[in-house]
Amino acid sequence: MSSTSQKHKDFVAEPMGEKPVMALAGIGDVLGKRLEEKGFDKAYVVLGQFLVLKKDEELFRDWLKDTCGANSKQQGDCYGCLKEWCDAFL
Amino acid sequence: MALRAEDPSQLSKSRLKSDLVAHNVALPPSKSRKEVYVELHLKHIERKTAADFSSDEEEQARHAKEEHPEVPDPGALTDDDLQAALLKRGVKVGPVVASTRALYEKKLLKLLQPDGHGQLNGADSGAGYSDSEGEERGGEGDDAESDCEEEKQTVQRSDQAPQQRRQVKVSHHLQNGYFSYPQCFLLSSRLRVPASRARKPIEWNSRNASSERSRSRCSQISAGVSRASSIDQRSGLGPGVPPASQTRQRSDSSSFSITQMVEEMETRRSLSSPNGAESELSGSKVPEHRSRSDGLDMAVVDERTRTDQSLYYTPKASAHKTKTKLHQEPVEPTFKDMFAATESTPTGIYATQRRPIKGAAGRPVRYAYPDTPSSPSTLQRREVARRLVPVHIQLVVFLVVTCLLYFIYVCVEDNSWSPFLASLDNRNQGPDSEEGLLLQADTPALSGQE
Repeated sequence: MSSTSQKHKDFVAEPMGEKPVMALAGIGDVLGKRLEEKGFDKAYVVLGQFLVLKKDEELFRDWLKDTCGANSKQQGDCYGCLKEWCDAFL
Repeated sequence: MALRAEDPSQLSKSRLKSDLVAHNVALPPSKSRKEVYVELHLKHIERKTAADFSSDEEEQARHAKEEHPEVPDPGALTDDDLQAALLKRGVKVGPVVASTRALYEKKLLKLLQPDGHGQLNGADSGAGYSDSEGEERGGEGDDAESDCEEEKQTVQRSDQAPQQRRQVKVSHHLQNGYFSYPQCFLLSSRLRVPASRARKPIEWNSRNASSERSRSRCSQISAGVSRASSIDQRSGLGPGVPPASQTRQRSDSSSFSITQMVEEMETRRSLSSPNGAESELSGSKVPEHRSRSDGLDMAVVDERTRTDQSLYYTPKASAHKTKTKLHQEPVEPTFKDMFAATESTPTGIYATQRRPIKGAAGRPVRYAYPDTPSSPSTLQRREVARRLVPVHIQLVVFLVVTCLLYFIYVCVEDNSWSPFLASLDNRNQGPDSEEGLLLQADTPALSGQE
Protein backbone atom coordinates (compact mmCIF):
# COMPACT_ATOMS: atom_id res chain seq x y z
CA MET A 1 0.00 0.00 0.00
CA SER A 2 2.03 2.84 -1.26
CA SER A 3 -0.61 5.50 -0.86
CA THR A 4 -3.81 5.37 1.02
CA SER A 5 -7.05 5.97 -0.72
CA GLN A 6 -9.55 8.60 0.15
CA LYS A 7 -11.84 5.92 1.48
CA HIS A 8 -9.11 4.72 3.74
CA LYS A 9 -8.50 8.20 5.05
CA ASP A 10 -12.17 8.79 5.63
CA PHE A 11 -12.56 5.57 7.51
CA VAL A 12 -9.50 6.00 9.65
CA ALA A 13 -10.30 9.61 10.45
CA GLU A 14 -13.13 8.93 12.88
CA PRO A 15 -14.76 6.26 14.99
CA MET A 16 -16.61 3.88 12.75
CA GLY A 17 -19.90 4.13 14.56
CA GLU A 18 -22.60 2.49 12.54
CA LYS A 19 -20.88 2.74 9.22
CA PRO A 20 -21.86 0.07 6.73
CA VAL A 21 -19.36 -2.52 5.69
CA MET A 22 -18.98 -0.74 2.37
CA ALA A 23 -17.24 2.09 4.17
CA LEU A 24 -14.22 -0.12 4.66
CA ALA A 25 -11.42 0.52 2.27
CA GLY A 26 -11.17 -2.21 -0.29
CA ILE A 27 -14.78 -3.24 0.15
CA GLY A 28 -16.86 -2.00 -2.70
CA ASP A 29 -20.43 -2.63 -3.63
CA VAL A 30 -19.93 -6.19 -4.75
CA LEU A 31 -17.86 -7.35 -1.84
CA GLY A 32 -20.01 -5.37 0.52
CA LYS A 33 -23.09 -7.10 -0.72
CA ARG A 34 -21.49 -10.46 -0.32
CA LEU A 35 -20.43 -9.64 3.17
CA GLU A 36 -23.88 -8.43 4.02
CA GLU A 37 -25.29 -11.68 2.82
CA LYS A 38 -23.05 -13.43 5.24
CA GLY A 39 -24.24 -11.25 8.05
CA PHE A 40 -21.34 -8.83 8.08
CA ASP A 41 -23.50 -5.83 7.46
CA LYS A 42 -21.62 -3.29 9.54
CA ALA A 43 -18.01 -2.35 9.56
CA TYR A 44 -17.78 -3.18 13.23
CA VAL A 45 -18.77 -6.79 12.56
CA VAL A 46 -15.81 -7.10 10.26
CA LEU A 47 -13.75 -5.40 12.92
CA GLY A 48 -14.90 -8.05 15.34
CA GLN A 49 -13.68 -10.77 13.06
CA PHE A 50 -10.47 -8.87 12.56
CA LEU A 51 -9.97 -8.69 16.28
CA VAL A 52 -10.87 -12.26 17.02
CA LEU A 53 -8.20 -13.24 14.54
CA LYS A 54 -5.84 -11.25 16.70
CA LYS A 55 -5.19 -8.74 13.95
CA ASP A 56 -3.25 -11.40 12.12
CA GLU A 57 -2.83 -10.26 8.58
CA GLU A 58 -2.55 -13.64 6.98
CA LEU A 59 -5.58 -15.05 8.70
CA PHE A 60 -7.66 -11.99 8.08
CA ARG A 61 -6.75 -11.94 4.43
CA ASP A 62 -7.64 -15.59 4.13
CA TRP A 63 -10.89 -14.99 5.84
CA LEU A 64 -11.76 -12.08 3.62
CA LYS A 65 -10.94 -14.07 0.58
CA ASP A 66 -13.02 -16.99 1.71
CA THR A 67 -15.91 -14.87 2.78
CA CYS A 68 -16.34 -12.49 -0.08
CA GLY A 69 -13.71 -13.41 -2.60
CA ALA A 70 -11.67 -10.29 -2.18
CA ASN A 71 -8.54 -10.08 -4.26
CA SER A 72 -5.14 -9.36 -2.87
CA LYS A 73 -5.37 -5.61 -3.16
CA GLN A 74 -8.78 -5.48 -1.61
CA GLN A 75 -7.61 -7.67 1.21
CA GLY A 76 -4.64 -5.43 1.77
CA ASP A 77 -6.74 -2.29 1.72
CA CYS A 78 -9.24 -3.66 4.15
CA TYR A 79 -6.61 -5.03 6.46
CA GLY A 80 -4.62 -1.81 6.44
CA CYS A 81 -7.71 0.23 7.03
CA LEU A 82 -8.83 -1.81 10.03
CA LYS A 83 -5.33 -2.01 11.39
CA GLU A 84 -4.86 1.70 11.24
CA TRP A 85 -8.26 2.31 12.74
CA CYS A 86 -7.38 0.02 15.62
CA ASP A 87 -4.09 1.76 16.14
CA ALA A 88 -5.88 5.05 16.32
CA PHE A 89 -8.99 4.23 18.28
CA LEU A 90 -8.54 1.02 20.15
CA MET B 1 -20.40 -39.48 -9.24
CA ALA B 2 -19.24 -38.63 -12.70
CA LEU B 3 -16.72 -36.35 -11.16
CA ARG B 4 -15.08 -39.24 -9.53
CA ALA B 5 -14.02 -40.78 -12.81
CA GLU B 6 -10.81 -38.87 -12.88
CA ASP B 7 -8.58 -38.94 -9.89
CA PRO B 8 -6.95 -35.54 -9.57
CA SER B 9 -10.14 -33.75 -10.10
CA GLN B 10 -11.75 -35.97 -7.63
CA LEU B 11 -9.14 -35.30 -5.05
CA SER B 12 -9.04 -31.62 -5.51
CA LYS B 13 -12.75 -31.52 -5.50
CA SER B 14 -12.83 -33.29 -2.22
CA ARG B 15 -10.43 -30.83 -0.88
CA LEU B 16 -12.33 -27.84 -2.05
CA LYS B 17 -15.48 -29.38 -0.83
CA SER B 18 -14.07 -29.99 2.51
CA ASP B 19 -12.85 -26.44 2.60
CA LEU B 20 -16.31 -25.29 1.96
CA VAL B 21 -17.83 -27.45 4.55
CA ALA B 22 -15.23 -26.47 7.00
CA HIS B 23 -16.18 -22.92 6.29
CA ASN B 24 -19.75 -23.75 6.58
CA VAL B 25 -19.20 -24.44 10.17
CA ALA B 26 -17.73 -21.06 10.67
CA LEU B 27 -19.24 -18.74 8.14
CA PRO B 28 -21.83 -20.29 5.97
CA PRO B 29 -20.74 -20.31 2.35
CA SER B 30 -17.26 -19.59 1.19
CA LYS B 31 -15.08 -19.34 -1.81
CA SER B 32 -12.47 -21.79 -2.80
CA ARG B 33 -8.80 -21.47 -2.23
CA LYS B 34 -6.04 -21.43 -4.79
CA GLU B 35 -7.02 -24.76 -6.23
CA VAL B 36 -7.96 -23.71 -9.68
CA TYR B 37 -7.03 -26.75 -11.62
CA VAL B 38 -10.48 -28.18 -11.72
CA GLU B 39 -13.02 -25.74 -12.99
CA LEU B 40 -15.88 -27.96 -12.23
CA HIS B 41 -15.08 -27.81 -8.61
CA LEU B 42 -14.47 -24.16 -8.68
CA LYS B 43 -17.83 -23.66 -10.21
CA HIS B 44 -19.19 -25.88 -7.61
CA ILE B 45 -17.71 -23.85 -4.91
CA GLU B 46 -18.80 -20.63 -6.42
CA ARG B 47 -22.26 -21.92 -6.56
CA LYS B 48 -21.93 -22.61 -2.95
CA THR B 49 -20.58 -19.20 -2.35
CA ALA B 50 -23.70 -17.83 -3.86
CA ALA B 51 -25.37 -19.39 -0.88
CA ASP B 52 -27.67 -21.81 -2.64
CA PHE B 53 -27.49 -25.03 -0.77
CA SER B 54 -29.25 -27.44 -2.98
CA SER B 55 -29.74 -30.91 -1.75
CA ASP B 56 -27.65 -32.49 -4.49
CA GLU B 57 -24.91 -30.08 -3.64
CA GLU B 58 -24.85 -31.36 -0.17
CA GLU B 59 -24.93 -34.85 -1.45
CA GLN B 60 -21.92 -34.29 -3.61
CA ALA B 61 -20.14 -32.74 -0.74
CA ARG B 62 -20.80 -35.80 1.25
CA HIS B 63 -19.41 -37.96 -1.48
CA ALA B 64 -16.33 -35.93 -1.58
CA LYS B 65 -15.85 -35.99 2.08
CA GLU B 66 -15.91 -39.72 2.28
CA GLU B 67 -13.46 -40.30 -0.46
CA HIS B 68 -10.16 -40.25 1.28
CA PRO B 69 -10.63 -40.65 4.88
CA GLU B 70 -7.33 -42.10 5.93
CA VAL B 71 -5.59 -38.91 6.91
CA PRO B 72 -5.92 -37.01 10.13
CA ASP B 73 -8.52 -34.43 10.24
CA PRO B 74 -8.24 -31.02 11.73
CA GLY B 75 -11.98 -30.93 11.67
CA ALA B 76 -12.29 -33.90 13.93
CA LEU B 77 -10.26 -32.22 16.58
CA THR B 78 -11.98 -30.29 19.24
CA ASP B 79 -11.33 -26.59 19.47
CA ASP B 80 -8.81 -27.09 22.20
CA ASP B 81 -7.03 -29.83 20.34
CA LEU B 82 -6.84 -27.74 17.25
CA GLN B 83 -5.40 -24.92 19.25
CA ALA B 84 -2.88 -27.23 20.87
CA ALA B 85 -1.87 -28.69 17.54
CA LEU B 86 -1.26 -25.25 16.13
CA LEU B 87 0.62 -24.17 19.20
CA LYS B 88 2.78 -27.22 18.86
CA ARG B 89 3.78 -25.97 15.45
CA GLY B 90 4.64 -22.57 16.73
CA VAL B 91 1.61 -20.75 15.48
CA LYS B 92 0.15 -18.04 17.59
CA VAL B 93 -3.42 -19.04 17.95
CA GLY B 94 -6.23 -16.78 18.84
CA PRO B 95 -9.52 -18.02 20.13
CA VAL B 96 -10.74 -20.98 18.17
CA VAL B 97 -14.40 -20.20 17.82
CA ALA B 98 -16.97 -20.86 15.17
CA SER B 99 -15.94 -18.00 12.96
CA THR B 100 -12.24 -18.63 13.18
CA ARG B 101 -12.14 -22.38 13.27
CA ALA B 102 -12.13 -22.84 9.52
CA LEU B 103 -9.16 -20.56 9.14
CA TYR B 104 -7.21 -22.34 11.78
CA GLU B 105 -8.03 -25.70 10.32
CA LYS B 106 -6.78 -24.50 7.01
CA LYS B 107 -3.66 -23.17 8.57
CA LEU B 108 -2.99 -26.43 10.29
CA LEU B 109 -3.43 -28.27 7.06
CA LYS B 110 -1.11 -25.87 5.35
CA LEU B 111 1.44 -26.56 8.01
CA LEU B 112 0.91 -30.26 7.70
CA GLN B 113 1.66 -30.19 4.01
CA PRO B 114 3.61 -27.03 3.35
CA ASP B 115 4.60 -27.99 -0.16
CA GLY B 116 1.27 -28.05 -1.82
CA HIS B 117 2.81 -28.93 -5.15
CA GLY B 118 2.34 -32.65 -5.19
CA GLN B 119 -1.01 -33.99 -6.16
CA LEU B 120 -0.42 -36.78 -3.77
CA ASN B 121 -0.27 -34.42 -0.91
CA GLY B 122 -3.24 -32.56 -2.12
CA ALA B 123 -5.07 -35.81 -2.06
CA ASP B 124 -3.98 -36.44 1.45
CA SER B 125 -5.09 -33.13 2.72
CA GLY B 126 -8.31 -33.53 0.90
CA ALA B 127 -8.79 -36.71 2.73
CA GLY B 128 -8.08 -34.93 5.93
CA TYR B 129 -10.70 -32.40 5.21
CA SER B 130 -13.18 -34.97 4.18
CA ASP B 131 -12.83 -36.62 7.49
CA SER B 132 -13.64 -33.46 9.26
CA GLU B 133 -16.62 -32.92 7.13
CA GLY B 134 -17.78 -36.32 7.97
CA GLU B 135 -18.07 -35.27 11.51
CA GLU B 136 -19.30 -31.79 11.05
CA ARG B 137 -21.80 -32.71 8.48
CA GLY B 138 -22.94 -35.69 10.42
CA GLY B 139 -25.59 -33.83 12.31
CA GLU B 140 -27.13 -31.91 9.49
CA GLY B 141 -27.10 -34.59 6.84
CA ASP B 142 -29.86 -36.75 8.22
CA ASP B 143 -32.24 -36.15 5.37
CA ALA B 144 -29.92 -37.74 2.84
CA GLU B 145 -29.29 -40.74 4.99
CA SER B 146 -30.83 -43.09 2.49
CA ASP B 147 -28.13 -42.86 -0.14
CA CYS B 148 -25.43 -43.27 2.38
CA GLU B 149 -25.35 -47.00 2.21
CA GLU B 150 -24.48 -47.36 -1.42
CA GLU B 151 -22.20 -44.41 -1.07
CA LYS B 152 -20.26 -46.19 1.55
CA GLN B 153 -19.44 -48.96 -0.83
CA THR B 154 -18.08 -46.62 -3.41
CA VAL B 155 -16.18 -44.81 -0.81
CA GLN B 156 -14.44 -47.89 0.33
CA ARG B 157 -13.62 -48.85 -3.17
CA SER B 158 -12.27 -45.46 -3.98
CA ASP B 159 -10.21 -45.55 -0.84
CA GLN B 160 -8.26 -48.42 -2.14
CA ALA B 161 -7.35 -46.76 -5.37
CA PRO B 162 -5.61 -43.72 -3.96
CA GLN B 163 -3.90 -45.91 -1.48
CA GLN B 164 -2.30 -47.96 -4.15
CA ARG B 165 -1.41 -44.88 -6.03
CA ARG B 166 0.27 -43.50 -3.04
CA GLN B 167 2.34 -46.54 -2.53
CA VAL B 168 3.46 -46.44 -6.09
CA LYS B 169 4.34 -42.84 -5.77
CA VAL B 170 6.25 -43.34 -2.58
CA SER B 171 8.37 -46.02 -4.08
CA HIS B 172 8.94 -43.77 -7.02
CA HIS B 173 10.20 -41.09 -4.72
CA LEU B 174 12.45 -43.54 -3.00
CA GLN B 175 14.05 -44.43 -6.25
CA ASN B 176 14.66 -40.88 -7.15
CA GLY B 177 16.08 -40.09 -3.81
CA TYR B 178 13.58 -37.35 -3.60
CA PHE B 179 11.10 -37.10 -0.85
CA SER B 180 8.41 -34.60 -0.73
CA TYR B 181 8.48 -33.34 2.77
CA PRO B 182 4.85 -33.75 3.71
CA GLN B 183 5.30 -37.46 3.91
CA CYS B 184 7.14 -36.88 7.08
CA PHE B 185 4.31 -34.89 8.45
CA LEU B 186 1.77 -37.33 7.33
CA LEU B 187 3.40 -39.87 9.47
CA SER B 188 2.98 -37.94 12.61
CA SER B 189 -0.47 -36.82 11.79
CA ARG B 190 -1.53 -40.24 10.79
CA LEU B 191 -0.23 -41.64 13.97
CA ARG B 192 -2.35 -39.16 15.78
CA VAL B 193 -5.46 -40.41 14.12
CA PRO B 194 -6.42 -42.94 16.76
CA ALA B 195 -6.14 -40.34 19.46
CA SER B 196 -8.41 -37.94 17.74
CA ARG B 197 -10.75 -40.67 16.86
CA ALA B 198 -11.01 -41.68 20.44
CA ARG B 199 -12.29 -38.24 21.25
CA LYS B 200 -14.88 -38.22 18.59
CA PRO B 201 -18.44 -37.73 19.65
CA ILE B 202 -20.55 -40.78 20.10
CA GLU B 203 -23.43 -39.47 18.08
CA TRP B 204 -21.89 -40.61 14.85
CA ASN B 205 -24.48 -41.93 12.53
CA SER B 206 -24.05 -45.23 10.87
CA ARG B 207 -22.70 -43.78 7.70
CA ASN B 208 -19.91 -41.97 9.40
CA ALA B 209 -19.06 -44.89 11.55
CA SER B 210 -18.70 -47.23 8.65
CA SER B 211 -16.67 -44.84 6.61
CA GLU B 212 -14.57 -44.35 9.63
CA ARG B 213 -13.89 -48.03 9.76
CA SER B 214 -12.78 -48.13 6.20
CA ARG B 215 -10.67 -45.15 6.86
CA SER B 216 -8.82 -46.73 9.71
CA ARG B 217 -8.10 -49.75 7.60
CA CYS B 218 -6.52 -47.61 4.97
CA SER B 219 -4.62 -45.54 7.43
CA GLN B 220 -2.92 -48.60 8.78
CA ILE B 221 -1.53 -49.39 5.40
CA SER B 222 -0.50 -45.90 4.61
CA ALA B 223 0.99 -45.38 8.03
CA GLY B 224 3.34 -48.23 7.41
CA VAL B 225 4.36 -46.81 4.11
CA SER B 226 4.93 -43.35 5.33
CA ARG B 227 6.76 -44.54 8.37
CA ALA B 228 9.26 -46.30 6.22
CA SER B 229 9.55 -43.26 4.04
CA SER B 230 10.09 -40.91 6.90
CA ILE B 231 12.76 -43.11 8.34
CA ASP B 232 14.51 -42.99 5.06
CA GLN B 233 14.23 -39.30 5.03
CA ARG B 234 15.69 -38.91 8.44
CA SER B 235 18.56 -41.13 7.59
CA GLY B 236 19.70 -38.50 5.19
CA LEU B 237 17.78 -38.29 2.00
CA GLY B 238 18.59 -34.69 1.97
CA PRO B 239 16.63 -33.01 -0.77
CA GLY B 240 13.37 -33.78 0.88
CA VAL B 241 14.14 -31.55 3.77
CA PRO B 242 14.65 -28.09 2.33
CA PRO B 243 11.09 -27.37 1.34
CA ALA B 244 10.06 -28.15 4.85
CA SER B 245 12.49 -25.82 6.43
CA GLN B 246 11.77 -23.11 3.98
CA THR B 247 8.12 -23.18 4.60
CA ARG B 248 8.72 -23.36 8.25
CA GLN B 249 10.83 -20.30 8.10
CA ARG B 250 8.34 -18.59 5.97
CA SER B 251 5.56 -19.21 8.39
CA ASP B 252 7.73 -18.16 11.26
CA SER B 253 8.90 -15.00 9.69
CA SER B 254 5.36 -13.94 9.23
CA SER B 255 5.14 -13.59 12.96
CA PHE B 256 8.56 -12.13 13.29
CA SER B 257 8.98 -9.68 16.08
CA ILE B 258 11.40 -6.84 16.43
CA THR B 259 12.65 -7.99 19.78
CA GLN B 260 13.87 -11.11 18.15
CA MET B 261 15.79 -9.07 15.70
CA VAL B 262 17.35 -6.95 18.39
CA GLU B 263 18.35 -9.99 20.36
CA GLU B 264 19.77 -11.50 17.29
CA MET B 265 21.76 -8.40 16.54
CA GLU B 266 23.08 -8.35 20.05
CA THR B 267 24.14 -11.91 19.83
CA ARG B 268 25.85 -11.27 16.61
CA ARG B 269 27.67 -8.32 18.00
CA SER B 270 28.79 -10.14 21.09
CA LEU B 271 30.10 -12.94 19.02
CA SER B 272 31.75 -10.39 16.78
CA SER B 273 31.65 -12.27 13.58
CA PRO B 274 31.95 -9.71 10.82
CA ASN B 275 31.83 -12.38 8.18
CA GLY B 276 29.69 -11.72 5.16
CA ALA B 277 28.24 -15.16 4.91
CA GLU B 278 27.23 -14.89 8.49
CA SER B 279 25.25 -11.78 7.95
CA GLU B 280 23.65 -13.33 4.96
CA LEU B 281 22.57 -16.23 7.00
CA SER B 282 21.28 -14.16 9.82
CA GLY B 283 18.14 -13.25 8.03
CA SER B 284 17.07 -16.80 7.79
CA LYS B 285 18.34 -17.58 11.19
CA VAL B 286 16.17 -15.20 13.07
CA PRO B 287 12.95 -16.98 12.46
CA GLU B 288 14.78 -20.19 12.95
CA HIS B 289 15.84 -19.10 16.34
CA ARG B 290 12.37 -18.07 17.13
CA SER B 291 10.95 -21.41 16.28
CA ARG B 292 13.59 -22.89 18.44
CA SER B 293 12.89 -20.74 21.39
CA ASP B 294 9.22 -21.28 21.61
CA GLY B 295 9.96 -24.77 22.70
CA LEU B 296 6.64 -26.10 21.62
CA ASP B 297 7.77 -27.84 18.51
CA MET B 298 7.20 -31.48 18.19
CA ALA B 299 10.04 -33.88 18.22
CA VAL B 300 9.56 -34.40 14.55
CA VAL B 301 9.88 -30.74 13.89
CA ASP B 302 12.99 -30.51 15.97
CA GLU B 303 14.49 -33.33 14.09
CA ARG B 304 13.76 -31.54 10.91
CA THR B 305 15.21 -28.26 11.96
CA ARG B 306 18.31 -29.93 13.13
CA THR B 307 18.68 -31.65 9.87
CA ASP B 308 18.32 -28.57 7.83
CA GLN B 309 20.80 -26.76 9.97
CA SER B 310 23.40 -29.21 8.98
CA LEU B 311 22.29 -28.87 5.45
CA TYR B 312 22.13 -25.16 5.23
CA TYR B 313 24.58 -23.65 7.54
CA THR B 314 28.28 -23.68 7.49
CA PRO B 315 30.02 -25.06 10.57
CA LYS B 316 30.70 -21.57 11.72
CA ALA B 317 27.10 -20.63 11.36
CA SER B 318 25.94 -23.62 13.25
CA ALA B 319 28.35 -22.84 16.01
CA HIS B 320 26.82 -19.46 16.15
CA LYS B 321 23.47 -21.12 16.16
CA THR B 322 24.25 -23.12 19.23
CA LYS B 323 25.30 -20.01 20.99
CA THR B 324 22.11 -18.20 20.29
CA LYS B 325 20.51 -20.02 23.13
CA LEU B 326 23.03 -18.60 25.51
CA HIS B 327 22.65 -15.07 24.36
CA GLN B 328 20.56 -14.15 27.35
CA GLU B 329 23.63 -14.02 29.56
CA PRO B 330 25.75 -11.73 27.41
CA VAL B 331 23.04 -9.14 27.52
CA GLU B 332 23.46 -8.34 31.21
CA PRO B 333 27.23 -7.95 31.14
CA THR B 334 26.78 -5.48 28.35
CA PHE B 335 24.74 -3.33 30.65
CA LYS B 336 27.21 -3.70 33.43
CA ASP B 337 29.95 -2.67 31.11
CA MET B 338 27.96 0.32 30.13
CA PHE B 339 27.53 1.33 33.72
CA ALA B 340 31.17 0.82 34.45
CA ALA B 341 31.98 2.99 31.49
CA THR B 342 29.74 5.78 32.66
CA GLU B 343 31.28 5.71 36.09
CA SER B 344 34.76 6.05 34.77
CA THR B 345 34.02 8.78 32.29
CA PRO B 346 35.28 12.19 33.40
CA THR B 347 32.07 13.92 32.48
CA GLY B 348 31.69 15.21 36.00
CA ILE B 349 28.33 13.59 36.40
CA TYR B 350 28.44 10.90 38.99
CA ALA B 351 25.78 8.85 40.45
CA THR B 352 26.02 9.20 44.20
CA GLN B 353 24.70 6.99 46.86
CA ARG B 354 21.21 7.79 47.85
CA ARG B 355 20.68 8.96 51.37
CA PRO B 356 17.65 8.10 53.41
CA ILE B 357 15.12 10.83 53.69
CA LYS B 358 14.76 12.00 57.24
CA GLY B 359 11.59 10.89 58.86
CA ALA B 360 10.33 9.26 55.71
CA ALA B 361 9.01 5.75 55.50
CA GLY B 362 9.06 5.19 59.20
CA ARG B 363 12.71 5.92 59.66
CA PRO B 364 13.43 7.57 63.00
CA VAL B 365 14.08 11.23 62.84
CA ARG B 366 17.59 11.99 63.97
CA TYR B 367 18.59 15.50 64.58
CA ALA B 368 22.26 15.13 64.22
CA TYR B 369 23.54 13.32 61.27
CA PRO B 370 27.16 12.51 61.19
CA ASP B 371 27.40 13.18 57.54
CA THR B 372 25.62 16.47 57.45
CA PRO B 373 27.95 19.42 57.79
CA SER B 374 26.91 21.58 60.78
CA SER B 375 26.39 25.26 60.45
CA PRO B 376 28.83 27.74 62.08
CA SER B 377 26.30 28.69 64.71
CA THR B 378 25.94 25.09 65.75
CA LEU B 379 29.69 24.77 65.98
CA GLN B 380 29.85 27.87 68.17
CA ARG B 381 27.16 26.57 70.39
CA ARG B 382 28.95 23.32 70.71
CA GLU B 383 32.17 25.11 71.57
CA VAL B 384 30.44 27.08 74.26
CA ALA B 385 28.83 24.02 75.63
CA ARG B 386 32.18 22.32 75.81
CA ARG B 387 33.58 25.12 77.91
CA LEU B 388 30.68 25.26 80.33
CA VAL B 389 31.00 23.42 83.69
CA PRO B 390 28.51 20.67 83.96
CA VAL B 391 25.41 21.38 86.00
CA HIS B 392 26.07 18.87 88.73
CA ILE B 393 29.48 20.33 89.38
CA GLN B 394 27.92 23.75 89.51
CA LEU B 395 25.45 22.50 92.11
CA VAL B 396 28.18 20.97 94.21
CA VAL B 397 30.17 24.13 94.14
CA PHE B 398 27.11 26.13 95.02
CA LEU B 399 26.36 23.87 97.99
CA VAL B 400 29.93 24.09 99.15
CA VAL B 401 29.88 27.84 99.01
CA THR B 402 26.55 27.99 100.79
CA CYS B 403 27.81 25.71 103.52
CA LEU B 404 30.88 27.84 103.96
CA LEU B 405 28.88 30.98 104.25
CA TYR B 406 26.53 29.40 106.72
CA PHE B 407 29.44 28.20 108.76
CA ILE B 408 30.85 31.66 108.82
CA TYR B 409 27.51 33.00 109.88
CA VAL B 410 27.28 30.54 112.69
CA CYS B 411 30.72 31.41 113.78
CA VAL B 412 29.85 35.02 113.75
CA GLU B 413 26.79 34.33 115.83
CA ASP B 414 28.90 32.57 118.37
CA ASN B 415 30.55 35.37 120.35
CA SER B 416 32.82 33.40 122.51
CA TRP B 417 35.70 32.28 120.58
CA SER B 418 35.81 33.96 117.26
CA PRO B 419 38.86 35.96 116.62
CA PHE B 420 36.68 38.28 114.74
CA LEU B 421 34.78 39.08 117.83
CA ALA B 422 37.91 39.37 119.74
CA SER B 423 39.16 41.97 117.39
CA LEU B 424 35.78 43.53 117.45
CA ASP B 425 35.91 43.43 121.16
CA ASN B 426 39.25 44.95 121.09
CA ARG B 427 38.00 47.69 118.95
CA ASN B 428 35.03 48.06 121.21
CA GLN B 429 37.28 47.98 124.14
CA GLY B 430 39.40 50.64 122.61
CA PRO B 431 36.74 53.27 122.62
CA ASP B 432 35.48 51.81 125.76
CA SER B 433 38.87 52.20 127.34
CA GLU B 434 39.08 55.67 126.08
CA GLU B 435 35.75 56.29 127.46
CA GLY B 436 36.76 54.33 130.38
CA LEU B 437 39.77 56.46 130.70
CA LEU B 438 37.56 59.37 130.44
CA LEU B 439 35.23 57.76 132.83
CA GLN B 440 38.11 56.72 134.92
CA ALA B 441 39.02 60.17 135.07
CA ASP B 442 35.55 60.99 136.07
CA THR B 443 34.80 58.09 138.18
CA PRO B 444 37.70 55.89 139.26
CA ALA B 445 35.25 53.63 140.99
CA LEU B 446 33.69 52.41 137.75
CA SER B 447 37.00 51.58 136.26
CA GLY B 448 37.96 49.98 139.44
CA GLN B 449 34.89 47.74 139.16
CA GLU B 450 35.80 46.66 135.63
